[in-house]
Amino acid sequence: MESPSIDTARLKESRLAEWLREQRSVLIGYSGGVDSTYLAVVAREVLGRRNVLAVFGRSPSVPNDQSDKALAFAAQWDIELRIVATDEVDDPRYAANPVNRCYFCKSVLWAVLCPMARDQGMTTVVDGTNADDLTGHRPGSRAAAEHGVQSPLALAGLTKAEIRELSRARGLATWSQPSAPCLASRIPYGTPVTPERLQQIDRAERGLRALGVTGDLRVRHHDDLARIELESRLIDEWLLPDNAQRLVQAVRAAGFRRVAIDLRGFRSGSLNVLEGVAAA
Amino acid sequence: MNLTSRLAQEGITCRIEVRDRLAIIVAAPGYLTAAVRADVLRLAKEEGFTHLALELDPDGAALPGN
Repeated sequence: MESPSIDTARLKESRLAEWLREQRSVLIGYSGGVDSTYLAVVAREVLGRRNVLAVFGRSPSVPNDQSDKALAFAAQWDIELRIVATDEVDDPRYAANPVNRCYFCKSVLWAVLCPMARDQGMTTVVDGTNADDLTGHRPGSRAAAEHGVQSPLALAGLTKAEIRELSRARGLATWSQPSAPCLASRIPYGTPVTPERLQQIDRAERGLRALGVTGDLRVRHHDDLARIELESRLIDEWLLPDNAQRLVQAVRAAGFRRVAIDLRGFRSGSLNVLEGVAAA
Repeated sequence: MNLTSRLAQEGITCRIEVRDRLAIIVAAPGYLTAAVRADVLRLAKEEGFTHLALELDPDGAALPGN
């Protein structure tokens, strides 16, 4: 990917700051990822501590260690953070795992966060959707729109690459962090999302990270078989016999019987392609 | 024509398990070198598969490619 121009990115950041200033206070749906972290830091800078509340939705579909990271980050940057349970897995419409699963998840999240914003006197509820997210299959954005949630990064025209660049310039550790969508995104549509499947995926991915797997990583859940997606530049290395055996052991320890490695490597939204929801 | 036949024509012997548009290759460990994998990927794509995965440490005494 071509590096974005830092000057262009800074112009967009000024636009973002101006927009935030007009809101006076914001509640941020905060995931600890690249986008919402950057947004939280800019909002904290522009509006001050009292006018920014970051809220992290904890549920079985979020990797276990993500809330700890979010807490540590908020403390470091002096941002008020609250953690709330969202439990979308209890919603049968979500658990059935239809192609618009994200709509039900985000509906649960915003149904908790929007009243919280009103109670806390926060004028605007925002999320970390960026300009790149406006294309592609994103049913969650409909739930945001229905709840009046704003997406200031997208409004400012900030792309993911620009957000990474601006995060780096600010010294945010998240600038190079791989994207971390919810664990349910590893389960093919139509296969029910259960706490057990989510835990299997979480354990397998943590096991692979512990082996030293770096970069983008997904363990896709195909019932008895785990399909590992690694960055394509790493596939040859991890197919060496000793390494492959270590992958197998780590993933079987998470409860999968069979283990396979995807030969095309990591692709964002890979299951959307498999299900025909997105183009190959 | 299916993927197994296409591979056989190219002298590549392996078992293919089809799950929708995902093809899972089952072969003896180490049989699929980088060059062979590239050929398999190309053929799988031509046959309409969007995903191709190589099973690691598969069960079975008589694995293709042994």
